[in-house]
Amino acid sequence: MVERSDSPHPASTGAEIGRAAEVASDLEGPRVVSRRWMLLKAGIALNGLIGIGLAIPIIRYLFSPIRPDSAYNSWVSLGTADSFPMGETRLISFTNPWRRPWDGQTVDIPCYVRRTGKRQFQVFAINCAHLGCPVRWFPQSQLFMCPCHGGVYYADGSRASGPPTRGLFTYPNKVVAGNLQIYAGQMPTLSNVPKPPESAKLVNIAAPTPEGDCPCRG
Amino acid sequence: MRLRSTVAGGLLSLALLAAGCGRLPVEQTERYVPPDQVTDFHALYNTNCRACHGPAGENGPAMDLANPEYQALVDDATLRRIISNGMPGTQMPAWAQSAGGMLTDAQVNAIIEGMRKEWSKPNPFQEATPPAYEQPSGADAKTQTADVKQGQQLYQAHCASCHSGHARQELTSPIYLALISDQALRSIIIAGRPDIGQPDWRHDNGQLSPQDVTSIVAYLSSLRTNTAISAPPVPLSSRR
Amino acid sequence: MPRMKRDAKTVYNWLERRLQIEGPVKDAALHKVPRSTASWWYVFGSAAFTLLLLQVVTGILLALVYSPTAANAWNSLNVLNHQIPLGWFIRALHGWGSNFMVAIVFIHMCQVFLFGAYKFPRELTWIVGVFLLLMTLGMAFTGQVLRFDQDAYWGLGIGVFMMSRVPLIGGALVHFLLGGPNISGATLSRFFTLHVFVIPGLLLSFAMVHVWMVLKLGINEWPMPGRLVRRETYIAIYNRLSHEDGIPFVPGAFWKDLIFSGAIVAAVAVCAMVFGPYGPGGMPNPSIIQTTPKPDFPFLWIFAILAYLPPALETPVILVAPILAIAGLLALPFVAGEGEKSWHRRPIAVLTVSFIAVAWGVFTHLGTYTPWSPHMNAWSSDAIPARYTHSATPLVREGAVVFQAKQCRNCHEIEGVGGQRGPALDDVATRMTPDEMRYKVVTGGGNMPAFGKNLSPAEVEALVAFLETLHPANERPAYDGALRETSTHNGSPPPVTGSK
Repeated sequence: MVERSDSPHPASTGAEIGRAAEVASDLEGPRVVSRRWMLLKAGIALNGLIGIGLAIPIIRYLFSPIRPDSAYNSWVSLGTADSFPMGETRLISFTNPWRRPWDGQTVDIPCYVRRTGKRQFQVFAINCAHLGCPVRWFPQSQLFMCPCHGGVYYADGSRASGPPTRGLFTYPNKVVAGNLQIYAGQMPTLSNVPKPPESAKLVNIAAPTPEGDCPCRG
Repeated sequence: MRLRSTVAGGLLSLALLAAGCGRLPVEQTERYVPPDQVTDFHALYNTNCRACHGPAGENGPAMDLANPEYQALVDDATLRRIISNGMPGTQMPAWAQSAGGMLTDAQVNAIIEGMRKEWSKPNPFQEATPPAYEQPSGADAKTQTADVKQGQQLYQAHCASCHSGHARQELTSPIYLALISDQALRSIIIAGRPDIGQPDWRHDNGQLSPQDVTSIVAYLSSLRTNTAISAPPVPLSSRR
Repeated sequence: MPRMKRDAKTVYNWLERRLQIEGPVKDAALHKVPRSTASWWYVFGSAAFTLLLLQVVTGILLALVYSPTAANAWNSLNVLNHQIPLGWFIRALHGWGSNFMVAIVFIHMCQVFLFGAYKFPRELTWIVGVFLLLMTLGMAFTGQVLRFDQDAYWGLGIGVFMMSRVPLIGGALVHFLLGGPNISGATLSRFFTLHVFVIPGLLLSFAMVHVWMVLKLGINEWPMPGRLVRRETYIAIYNRLSHEDGIPFVPGAFWKDLIFSGAIVAAVAVCAMVFGPYGPGGMPNPSIIQTTPKPDFPFLWIFAILAYLPPALETPVILVAPILAIAGLLALPFVAGEGEKSWHRRPIAVLTVSFIAVAWGVFTHLGTYTPWSPHMNAWSSDAIPARYTHSATPLVREGAVVFQAKQCRNCHEIEGVGGQRGPALDDVATRMTPDEMRYKVVTGGGNMPAFGKNLSPAEVEALVAFLETLHPANERPAYDGALRETSTHNGSPPPVTGSK
């Protein structure tokens, strides 16, 4: 008996139910029972409203990286200005002022510091102005070369050859109390050229990574 | 029947592969070593020194490091200084991170150690005593005054037989001399370059005294007249 | 035995009574397809789906160990490679599965295009397929980011630098993609979410819709030259083909799908076993700049095109070309929704596919050895062949040192070793006179930086003296005919020119 009733396709299958539903929907069409349809619309409208209400915080959450916080406008200290030899260009890393405990090694952002005078510095971003690859400084030929597509820059950061359309990005810098500080809260790109806003609070001066007494490397 | 044996063979080889693949391709790929942690001499030499000093320390355009006499002539401290801070007046760049290079002190030491191990030989001079690596200063300097005139005569007597005529005359040209320091000249005169046939200070015509070497270098140095074409190197004092 | 069979039947019936799935499955399996579609040309779609399933399974297995934080991702991949038994094999399966999936999806698209399968009534199937292709590529890129090594780090940089060219919202877009002002842990989290939740979810649902439409609309029949597609008549023609000359999909056509899918998965496994997993390369420490970033195989062609674009065309091409390409693919079934299906009578279609395939092949090949990139270590690691300097004069030897020490070798080959950015210099002396060399070195030009400021006149002279010796033994170096006529100072060193 059990077997029969559990046979795959018993008499009352979808087809009959469907026909019954058709009859029912004819009777309960929008013209016949408009109240149920109105309640349905009200339900949809309620869900829509709640959806919009939820969408606003979700979008704000999702797009929160676009709204800069103070770390985006940070001045970062690179150590004492006198630790950079006159007339030379040195690679140094600073700690990303916008950081999380799980960032690992990605917090160390490299840059090139070129000292041209007692208080004159040029601080270049590591990123090639073409597509952001790390440029390498060659003191012998006084050139920066990019390993990706062969962008080359002169010692002052101006474009020498290759695909870049502009020179290297420079971080604005200043010497405060003998310390070299750069405005380096954001990765420089063609649309985020580092430029300190007038209103920027000059705060959040992060200490350089402790690498012995000399912050310079290579 | 044939199909079945093919399938069986295939399954068997797959099983063998599966059994052996615990350490198949990945063991061959070396783990990443950050470039400043590399301390293998050959890796360091091949990346940083090979181009100018030759594939095995010789037959390169720059100094012949595989020459045991040169290895005996230069002490560790001097090598460390040259590698770390470069050699002023030559193209030898500074390699230490503290001087703007890419190598750590440990790596510089590894290079020195490796060179000694590969290329040093016991007693390369036999019974002879070579002139000192550096031109003596202070008290010793009195016994070895640089005499340009004597240097010129010595040059004619000892060097000109090879370094003259059309092919090799550039040795006295100010252009060449602008690119090589007195110390580098001195090292080559004393230790020679066996890889290209340059004899050491004991060549066919007899042995040069320390005084002679100093004088020849002084003579060549005096030819470096055109100071305009030799851009002064960045003085060491301004480096950190 | 019979009792067990009966019990199994009972269980089956119990389930079927509730699931009621036998009917649809039977319909799908036994629906008739045109006899001509039981072909080895029709196996790529199912193979792509099989690979997608393989990626899902291996991806889940990797997620058991992978740690999606910037601090630990790289370490966890090394643990997978070296410590967890056969962890490397699962990584290799996932990596090679990705390569195969991209390749099979592309082949599938080419086949569908050449067979005219995008025409009425299968326009939407094609459009969904275009999105499936884009999502497959999206998976490949986000997957490369998850292998959080140096290539991934700088690949992200390349990606956002391209995004930064978007007018007005470029800067915001960069921060949105990075999840912050810089590449950091937040960036990896974003790409993890994309790779593991967002894109796979969309990909699976789109793939279901794609398959659903194939079942409902029928597999595209083998095109016959001259049998044109018309909205009014096509359905009738197709029904005749599938019903009068049709065979049930299972087993008539399906056995080929099964065998090909199995072969592809086996190929993935063999590649994984033989070649092993991808990386990870260097640790994602941006302050280690001794690296040569390179994208994975599916994106090498883009990397190559970006090297060759003239700077003025770069932004337009980066921003407009993808939009045009995608719009073209989406518009295709509306522009050419009817008419000839057979490639025998669609020369432009065949030419387009051949052209794109050849161009893709060339650019990918170039991308594998990047002749436009300076070799960063060539100046200090690529030795000058001994025969050039062994019996050379001291000045020439010094010139060879200058050649190396001033990084000329980074862009110029000698004896096939060195950078390929500039021309190889083995026979430069036959092409240029010393004066021309001097001028070129000092002022640069073309794609060469000017070295005038950075080389002393003595260095230039030594360098030129070395370059003058670079000519085949049996070929004379170039000389200035006019100079030879008017001057007699041939043997003496040429005057110093171009000094500053």
